[in-house]
Amino acid sequence: MSLFNKLLFLFFLSGNLIAQNCPYSISGTITDELTGSPLAFAGIYIEETQQGILADDAGNYKIQGICQKEVHVRVTHASCEPELFFIDLQENRAKNFLLHHHAELLNEVQVHGSSNEKSTQVNSSLGKIEIARNGNQNLADILSELTGVSTLKNGSGISKPIIHGLFGNRISILNNGIAQSGQQWGNDHAPEIDAFSADHLSVIKGVSALAYAGSTLGGVVMVEGSPVEDEPHLHGSINYLYNSNGRGNTLNAKVEKAGKWFRWRMNGTIKMQGDSQTPTYFLTNTGRKEANFSFRADKKLNNKWSSTLNYATFNTEIGILKGSQIGNLTDLEAAFKREIPFFTETEFNYNINVPKQRVSHHLLKLELNGVLSPTETLRFVYGGQLNNRREFDARRGDRSEKPVLSLNQWSHFFEGKYINDLSKNKTLITGVQQTITDNTNVPETGISPLIPDYLAYQTSLFGILNVKNNRWFHEFGFRAENKQLNVVQITRTIPRAIKRINQNFTFFSVSAGSQLTLPNHLILNGNVGLAMRPPEVNELYSFGLHQGVSSIEEGNANLQPEKSVKALITANYHKSDFVLFEITPYAQLIDNFIYLQPQREFLLTIRGAFPYFRFEQADALLLGVDALVSIEPTDKIKLINKLTFVHGKNLTDDVPLINMPPLNFSSAFQVGFKNIGVARNNTIELEVSHTARQSNLLVSQDFVLPPDAYTLLNLRFDTTIEIKKYYVSLGLKATNLLNTIYRDYLNRLRYFADDTGRNFTLSSRFTF
Amino acid sequence: MKNYLFAFALLFLFSCEKDNPVIENEEELITTLTYKLTASDGTIVEGKFQDLDGDGGNAPTISNIVLKPNTMYSGSITLLNESVSPAEDITTEVEEEGSDHQFFFEATLANITVSYDDMDADNKAVGLKTKVVTEAASNGKLSITLKHKPNKSAMGVADGNIANAGGETDINVVFDVIIQ
Repeated sequence: MSLFNKLLFLFFLSGNLIAQNCPYSISGTITDELTGSPLAFAGIYIEETQQGILADDAGNYKIQGICQKEVHVRVTHASCEPELFFIDLQENRAKNFLLHHHAELLNEVQVHGSSNEKSTQVNSSLGKIEIARNGNQNLADILSELTGVSTLKNGSGISKPIIHGLFGNRISILNNGIAQSGQQWGNDHAPEIDAFSADHLSVIKGVSALAYAGSTLGGVVMVEGSPVEDEPHLHGSINYLYNSNGRGNTLNAKVEKAGKWFRWRMNGTIKMQGDSQTPTYFLTNTGRKEANFSFRADKKLNNKWSSTLNYATFNTEIGILKGSQIGNLTDLEAAFKREIPFFTETEFNYNINVPKQRVSHHLLKLELNGVLSPTETLRFVYGGQLNNRREFDARRGDRSEKPVLSLNQWSHFFEGKYINDLSKNKTLITGVQQTITDNTNVPETGISPLIPDYLAYQTSLFGILNVKNNRWFHEFGFRAENKQLNVVQITRTIPRAIKRINQNFTFFSVSAGSQLTLPNHLILNGNVGLAMRPPEVNELYSFGLHQGVSSIEEGNANLQPEKSVKALITANYHKSDFVLFEITPYAQLIDNFIYLQPQREFLLTIRGAFPYFRFEQADALLLGVDALVSIEPTDKIKLINKLTFVHGKNLTDDVPLINMPPLNFSSAFQVGFKNIGVARNNTIELEVSHTARQSNLLVSQDFVLPPDAYTLLNLRFDTTIEIKKYYVSLGLKATNLLNTIYRDYLNRLRYFADDTGRNFTLSSRFTF
Repeated sequence: MKNYLFAFALLFLFSCEKDNPVIENEEELITTLTYKLTASDGTIVEGKFQDLDGDGGNAPTISNIVLKPNTMYSGSITLLNESVSPAEDITTEVEEEGSDHQFFFEATLANITVSYDDMDADNKAVGLKTKVVTEAASNGKLSITLKHKPNKSAMGVADGNIANAGGETDINVVFDVIIQ
């Protein structure tokens, strides 16, 4: 900080010396980014010269007689997060500011990006502030704030997103445009991404934008950082969070600066959390540790070309509830019957013992952007990833330090993309992509691997045409892909031998979407897409005991690609500040849906009988709806209601699909308060969230019945404190305020233990 | 380093063959459990559970145990990994880690009593050695379970009651037993 102060001081001096008179001025309007309506009486403050003014009732402002060329302008408005902008007044005399006035609403429904990137995709996103307030949680947990998104969990430490009922191999997670490459197939494998490294998180619910690599069958999660601003001073933020349940500490620091050679940003996060707690007992061995770092550099190479480099590393160690690691069917049944899980300790502990996971992930991305002409852009991308996953379990002898699963996955992604504005209203995007995945079992486990070593080459071609026509916006997409699989399997027979298998899949996706903006604040969005997904290696060739699920899984080498047709419509009505309404009904038909079918016979081993599952295919239908209604009768009161519902059916066998999110709805009542001393933007929010029982399931489809419905009460208080010219945002959040005992259908730990009890989270954010 | 070079080579050569994987030495694998029962007159009866290819694949073979009525047997358990040759003896490993292991014997048939005949370092039962006493003719099932890291102090565990033992199951085999 002192360095920053010194810089600022020097800046003052130099500014005062040079500017004998004060020739600079600035003017413009301040508007709401979502509605475009002017923000009356917004505050504008020039930090260097300490000049400030309030905008008029139309959001217009003008400041004259500024003695300095380069200034920082702070723009504030009631119920907005203050924003700081750097402006060179020699180049800019007029500047219009956009503020995230409806912080919450905007976060909920946002079709973001410039007109060039405009899309008919139904897209919900969360911004920086939401990420910071919930930064102690996992990526998937943060995303579950969005309607239509649920989480599949394995305790409090491991969670992965479910979008419209689909997860794992069927959705892709794009980290700055690169499809996350790891062991995404495991229900107990969470995406290895630090949410703090993102400036916004969004979810695309339709047939995913066909310009991206990864599975196009389900939704897409986009984790994106914004380009570093051209701002010559060091700025950043420090976030610290403490959560009482698990006694977790999260510290994050982010700094950025436009340096002499390039613009850069650095982000680091460390987390440490101990055993979580249900209302009545500790969940022994559910702690976790995390250390993440990311770096971004943007550089303009010349008039035509600019480049971006991204590096991110994610490292974690997660404990898994000791009482959930059981042996055979008999043990499983004994564990289900227990009130309190086996091995539950009476003391809190930060220690992480076996069973546990240790995962590290590295991502390096290089991007080269060339503006060939005003209508043509060329882009080259390389993305390299290394994922190392090691899982540990209690073993005989001194083998517990040896992992039971150890996988190294390298992946390399190459892309060339050409964006051509054919006319004022037509844009054609074409591209070619190559993804190479190299998955290797590290020979250190002393156990025959669950999934074999393999090499996969995936080559893709795509084209997307955007057409704008008055109130209409159309998008047509096509994607053709070829995937070559080179699998090296160790046979199950004795003596073990090596078997090589080569497989080749060719598949394609097409999509069409239209958006219609009606004059009466109504936006209609429709999207239909056909997509295919070839079977993944785990679905084809896995064999063995899957620790996390205590069942024996067997792949099926004869699986055919899944074929899906999904249609969805979104109606979005947004009238001024008063009401926002969004509803998204959808239907998805999947031919050859790949799923784990429990086999009638248990598999007998020397450790007893095990539930035995085989990958099979059937036709499936998913129907669902997401809805959001927000009412804001005054600018101080807001009521936000959300609903997520999906119904899944296996049409071939006429049975429900398992692991479908049960109906969930929530209501949040938010009240804004007057400034109290230095505390501004004070809001208090009470949320009631209800999750129904998953009744769409046969008794024979699960070991135990789905848990009962539950209702949770959450309360949060947020404020921003202004001290001199620094801002500190503080939040206190209580989740499960009433300490309700419940179990969640989508949390695998429900078989063994209750879900977590009351939790207080203190979040603080200092921006400079 | 090998990985880096390999990755670099991939940039230019888009169709490599995957290296042969290392076949793990599955030293923890137990393929065979033998329950040898020696009567006081020296006759030997053996129950054997054998699954040479491990989980899945070919089903295990399980022999029956035929006992004489009103007889006392000394029982001993042998554990082998026969997937490698020569076969590996796992029994000693369990013996050395006696305090982390315990066998449990549960019979569904009448007229048979199995009691522990060995102790770990803490004077608690392990169950590699047992005493088996038969009475009148009967038949049914005998289940043998080896628990790793059970709670040996939990109620009833010392007497062979598995209910409160916890721990992970290393072995769980069931024999048909006939007393005739």
